[in-house]
Amino acid sequence: MAEIAESASTTEHPLGTVGASRSKASPSALRESDVDPKTMRTTTPGLKRVFLTFSVLLSFLLGFPFLWKTVEIYRSPLPFGDMDALSKQIESSPLQFPCHFQSVFLNFDSRSSGGILDPRELRRSILSEMTKLTSQTLERQCGSCGGNFTLSVVVDSGDGPCRLFDERHGNGLTPNCSYKCGALGALNLGDDEAIDEALRSALDESCSDYGGKLYTVVVVDGGGAGEGPKALVGKHRHGWISGRELDAEAMIGRMAEMFVKVFMNGAREDGAIHGEFMPVGADGRVVLSFSLLNANPDDWFYDWDFQRLDDTLLNPVIEALKPIANISVESQVLYHTPKSSFSYWDESLGSYIFSTKDLSFFVNSNEWHLDTSVAAGGRTKILQFVVYVPSAKECPLSLQLPSGEISKTNGFISPMWGGVMVWHPQSCIKYSGSGPPARLLMHPDDLHRIFEVLMGQLRQLFGLKSNSIYVGAAGAYKLLPSEKGFTEWELDVLSRQHTCFNLHSSGTTLGSLSRLVQSLPRMIIKDEIGKQVKFSLEAAQLAQTNASVGLYEASAASSRQARSLAEDAFFHPSIMSVSYFSFEHCFAVYSPFFLPVSLHVLLAAVREWRRYKHEKAKYVRWKVKQVKAA
Amino acid sequence: MAASSAVVAILASIWLCSSIAADASGSSSETTMHTNNWAVLVCTSRFWFNYRHMANTLSLYRTVKRLGIPDERIILMLADDMACNSRNKYPAQVFNNENHWLNLYGDNVEVDYRGYEVTVENFLRVLTGRHESAVPRSKRLLSDEGSHILLYMTGHGGDEFLKFQDSEELQSHDLADAVKQMKEKHRFKELLIMVDTCQAATLFNQLHSPGVLAIASSMKGENSYSHHLDSDVGVSVVDRFTFYTLAFFERLNMYDNASLSRLFNSYDPNLLMSNAYYRTDLYQRNLQEVPVTNFFGSVMETVHTDSAYRAFPQKNTPRETRIRTGKTAEDDSRRSILTDMTKAECPFTRIVSSLESKMETVGNLDSLVNYGLVMILPVLVVSVWLST
Repeated sequence: MAEIAESASTTEHPLGTVGASRSKASPSALRESDVDPKTMRTTTPGLKRVFLTFSVLLSFLLGFPFLWKTVEIYRSPLPFGDMDALSKQIESSPLQFPCHFQSVFLNFDSRSSGGILDPRELRRSILSEMTKLTSQTLERQCGSCGGNFTLSVVVDSGDGPCRLFDERHGNGLTPNCSYKCGALGALNLGDDEAIDEALRSALDESCSDYGGKLYTVVVVDGGGAGEGPKALVGKHRHGWISGRELDAEAMIGRMAEMFVKVFMNGAREDGAIHGEFMPVGADGRVVLSFSLLNANPDDWFYDWDFQRLDDTLLNPVIEALKPIANISVESQVLYHTPKSSFSYWDESLGSYIFSTKDLSFFVNSNEWHLDTSVAAGGRTKILQFVVYVPSAKECPLSLQLPSGEISKTNGFISPMWGGVMVWHPQSCIKYSGSGPPARLLMHPDDLHRIFEVLMGQLRQLFGLKSNSIYVGAAGAYKLLPSEKGFTEWELDVLSRQHTCFNLHSSGTTLGSLSRLVQSLPRMIIKDEIGKQVKFSLEAAQLAQTNASVGLYEASAASSRQARSLAEDAFFHPSIMSVSYFSFEHCFAVYSPFFLPVSLHVLLAAVREWRRYKHEKAKYVRWKVKQVKAA
Repeated sequence: MAASSAVVAILASIWLCSSIAADASGSSSETTMHTNNWAVLVCTSRFWFNYRHMANTLSLYRTVKRLGIPDERIILMLADDMACNSRNKYPAQVFNNENHWLNLYGDNVEVDYRGYEVTVENFLRVLTGRHESAVPRSKRLLSDEGSHILLYMTGHGGDEFLKFQDSEELQSHDLADAVKQMKEKHRFKELLIMVDTCQAATLFNQLHSPGVLAIASSMKGENSYSHHLDSDVGVSVVDRFTFYTLAFFERLNMYDNASLSRLFNSYDPNLLMSNAYYRTDLYQRNLQEVPVTNFFGSVMETVHTDSAYRAFPQKNTPRETRIRTGKTAEDDSRRSILTDMTKAECPFTRIVSSLESKMETVGNLDSLVNYGLVMILPVLVVSVWLST
């Protein structure tokens, strides 16, 4: 048995065993028979098997990062922190623009007004009126001037000196954008257009500060026929109040109202424009589609020279709206397009009448194929402007308002859709000749009148009023219309509101995108999306900077770009959650490859380790026994 | 030791594959105005024996158009073509009644997604708005924050899924996710989902966006049955839920204001042979105040235009005779084109246009050509004589 044990141990570790057996020949010769192979061993256990199995396990573990890299999904790194910060910032602090106002008291001699007018006092009272008015409406709403406005007052009397008070005087600054005394000499108070031009040349060209956006109200004493003060707002950024024997104190209320209600709020009741009056598409483009509808060409059919209208009258309007939207125009003439509501003959009014209750059903979408534009992309907004020429059976056709009177324009709008107006030919005599009737070209006068109504409708679609009188609490104000369709101060109001809306929209879009992308960690994010997000954030930043400086148009343009880029990123066609695999799918794909093999490798390693430990324990026990025996 | 390391490995793989679901808060939109209505009508079944699903969808299409929603605001998705199927005894006609009262495919049917284009992916793309840039506007859901959308789906379904084209399925969490994204992007003000399949109510289990109203033809564990068989066509032609829905709408026209609660209460479980289930917990308004035309009809908010904007300078042109014959109008246009061309800078165009104008003045073009041909002969003779 000892020989067997010796030979067994020799085969395992020949060198060690021989040495061991040689050295411990005498004392262990007796003892080798006592060695029980189950509990003791005479040699150190081998490490080869352990090394083998652990090296395989180690290679698996080392290869794991490479595997991870190969199955990694390419996700372009999006700046989630910036996106969330932008959306939070826009929601929490609404955007406020700096607004600058100036009031000029002209030709107030000290005899009629009680004493010499002090600009400082006047300024204080105007400011208190204005803050009272702004606190009535929600002045912290987005896009308004809020509490962030400056006011300077000038008193330029004919006989006395010209006194000026600007709050920056106190700081020792001399503003270069201030009223030049005596610039407004004799104003011919009869002609409104001439006054407007004179004011423009006197006030605006002296102003290079504030980006040219200084709103001025001039109160002129003298002129008029004593029927009371007349208040007008010009086409640029100024207005004036004129009248005989004006009391400066009384005019403060009207002046404050002109500043707040007209220049700040755009001559509307509340300051904010609702979302249904912002018809700009998500990519910053609008298509105006003009259609001439001939209801029954057997009676008559009309054609129009739209090209000339576009060149002469429509182009300036489109140019004026450039910062707000990128507008393109198309036109068509359609035939056999009856309307789907009914009208009845009214003897007293002498025409066929349709009422405001029928307006919702006027547009016959089955026969009117209006939306055939191929120029408009997927996210562009199309506004339809329809001129309806009724058939002889319903000619003349007039719209009756609920008050009973006949509408002067025969037109109506539907927000976010467009506008319709009814035009009937001069004489409603049916064509009774043989053969088809001739094509009649619309006379330029008629076309001009139609165009005026359509422009009124365009203004309504953008949230402004189509008429030119604003009635405020302190009185009525006449608003001079501009041949660009929108006056400069109206464009400022639109720019501010659109900037605010666009920034709000891009903030929420980017916030939604960041939440969506983070909720789908296995979705591929292409580089294009990353770039769009980056540019959108930059444009939003630029818009906010421009807004804080007071550049309304530039901020509107960059906010429009921010919104369009954010929408492009959010609506990128590769973000489809259905294509990205759930956890079960991922597990089911990879586990058949790796789970059985790794189980075996692990088990082998564990088993070898335990065996090594066990054998080591046996050896240690034998050593202990040796030591005890020795 | 072995067990713990195995558990660690499994946990690591679980962590590798886990996805975090973030719940975004929806925003309320009571302040926006209701501006328009949209309808998305989806038939998801293929094959001739699913004729009734096509008939369901086409009947609802006809109803919705009759009540005023125009084609440009309807997205109709039909997964197969029954009208021109070779097994259809009445070619180009689809009926929903055995008496063949009405040809649903008769006039003015505009199908936006047909045949194999009706897939889960395209359906979700329509809802979320994520199309390729080349997709035309008629195939997009161009709704805005003031839109009410009617979503009607019919086909074969089961517990939390709806089968598309017999090969893939739309799951309830996909639908809920799409609706959530629509709400985040303000693509609807209110949404009414009607589903007519077996176990349809389970499809709404995961919805949690506000402003959504859902009605299903049957509850979990119940089937939805067809109404009757047309022995002439050879298949069932309409489903019960849709049949009774249409019966309700046939009594209405676009001026009516029957409420949604009347519609929902009109379903009789004995006639349907299943329990129609509707879910109103996500919808804030009271159903008795909501007219059905809010979803099924057309609405157009109108504002009168008070006055024209008289700003534009008018050039005074004398009032000439306005009535001209058609020919001169065309001549005018042609002449104006020519004058435009002479104004052009390019000399080549100028030469061409002057030649054209000279050609205009020639009376008989054929005789000129004949003279030219006849002139060739002496020129030929002269040149031959010169060369000899």
